[in-house]
Amino acid sequence: MSVFVVVIWLAVGLTSCSNSSDVPPPPAQETVAGIDANGDGVRDDIEVYIDATYPVSAQGDTNRALRQFARAAQVTIIDAGEPAPSVAHAAERFRALECLMARRPADFHLIFVELRARVLNTAARSLSYLQADNHVRAGNVPLLPADQWGGACL
Amino acid sequence: MTRIGMRLALTVAWVVAAWSSADLVHAQIASQPACQNVMAPRTTVFFVNGITTTLDDARLNIGKLELEFLNRLPGMSEAVQANCNVFSLNYNPTGGEVNDFFEAAQQQLGITPTRFWLELEGLNLFTRELIRDALEGPMTDLNRIDASTIERHAMAYREQIASPSCRRVLIVPHSQGNLYTNAAYDLVFNQPPSPPPGAIKIVGVATPAQTVPANGFYRTSTTDVLINAIRLIRPGTLPPNTNWGITPLLLSPSYSGGHSFIGYLSADPSRTQILSDIESSLTALAAVNPC
Repeated sequence: MSVFVVVIWLAVGLTSCSNSSDVPPPPAQETVAGIDANGDGVRDDIEVYIDATYPVSAQGDTNRALRQFARAAQVTIIDAGEPAPSVAHAAERFRALECLMARRPADFHLIFVELRARVLNTAARSLSYLQADNHVRAGNVPLLPADQWGGACL
Repeated sequence: MTRIGMRLALTVAWVVAAWSSADLVHAQIASQPACQNVMAPRTTVFFVNGITTTLDDARLNIGKLELEFLNRLPGMSEAVQANCNVFSLNYNPTGGEVNDFFEAAQQQLGITPTRFWLELEGLNLFTRELIRDALEGPMTDLNRIDASTIERHAMAYREQIASPSCRRVLIVPHSQGNLYTNAAYDLVFNQPPSPPPGAIKIVGVATPAQTVPANGFYRTSTTDVLINAIRLIRPGTLPPNTNWGITPLLLSPSYSGGHSFIGYLSADPSRTQILSDIESSLTALAAVNPC
């Protein structure tokens, strides 16, 4: 097993040097909100990513679930300084995540990780996201049972 | 290996990783039959998150636990199937610690925010320096555990057990959540009125603790880089007793640290062993009258 661990360690180290993410860096003066030219609540660069990776024609349910999360994440980082809206936005994100788990029960986590990494592509956005978490306590945000996750989709 | 070759290998690993977890494809997620019966006894299954877990990660972690549980429920004991198991979250706020980890990763490794979020539980971030500077204290120093959080958790368990809820409690903590769970368990049973013995069971995952109260279960992987590092500092840390097998998950950026809760529930034998521990705990809980 120890040999296996070393091999894994080396493999991950090597692959990490290849800049495995194809995420373009954000413009230097990017604001926390970024640009949402069509005003649908989803940042333009995120919209492009979702539509390119999960085309509506082939994966409409996943596309809509990710847009739901992206909208909730966008208001989360914009309102991160406000406790009450942060709790409300956490509930919105939970519903979006429940929707995603209903649509993609086998691979929701990797899909989420890839999307979140793009949403939080600047230090300011990342810190706002973490700041919003600090306003939320257990019990503030109820969970839906698994058989109701599909109903969380907007 | 060329850069293209490495990218190809990583892509293949990711595809295989996704494929390996595709056994959970549900046309529609099944409900628990007992939950349709208002008279059926209830058990609340709490997830307590660890140190690198944001609120969204915590939601997905307990979602994964619920999915895996529902997938195995038809093969579980009659006592477990006769219960309605309600999944809940006792969130352990880690914003400050993830914040420290984020800033340390930027300063020491110069990584981008995007890469940080892609590799939050990956091997590349679990370096000795980052563990020492950002994670070691909260994972080992009991004085850095937030007392108000412990009290809140203990209150949540008491509320579940007491009338009118009258529910049994199973706690599944991950990582630093084990320290909170142990402390909350002590608080529940060391202050009157004490609930019935056995009304709370624990199945710890990736634990940095040295014990599990009430003869509870735990599973820590041999390939868990973070807990292995903690064990070097605190040799009394519970020894590894499971692993993730030969899995491409350990090659993916998101799981390569061997510490991810979802990784534990995606790879075998860790997944099967955790679910067996949960079944054993729920079976034992079914024999307890909580109030």
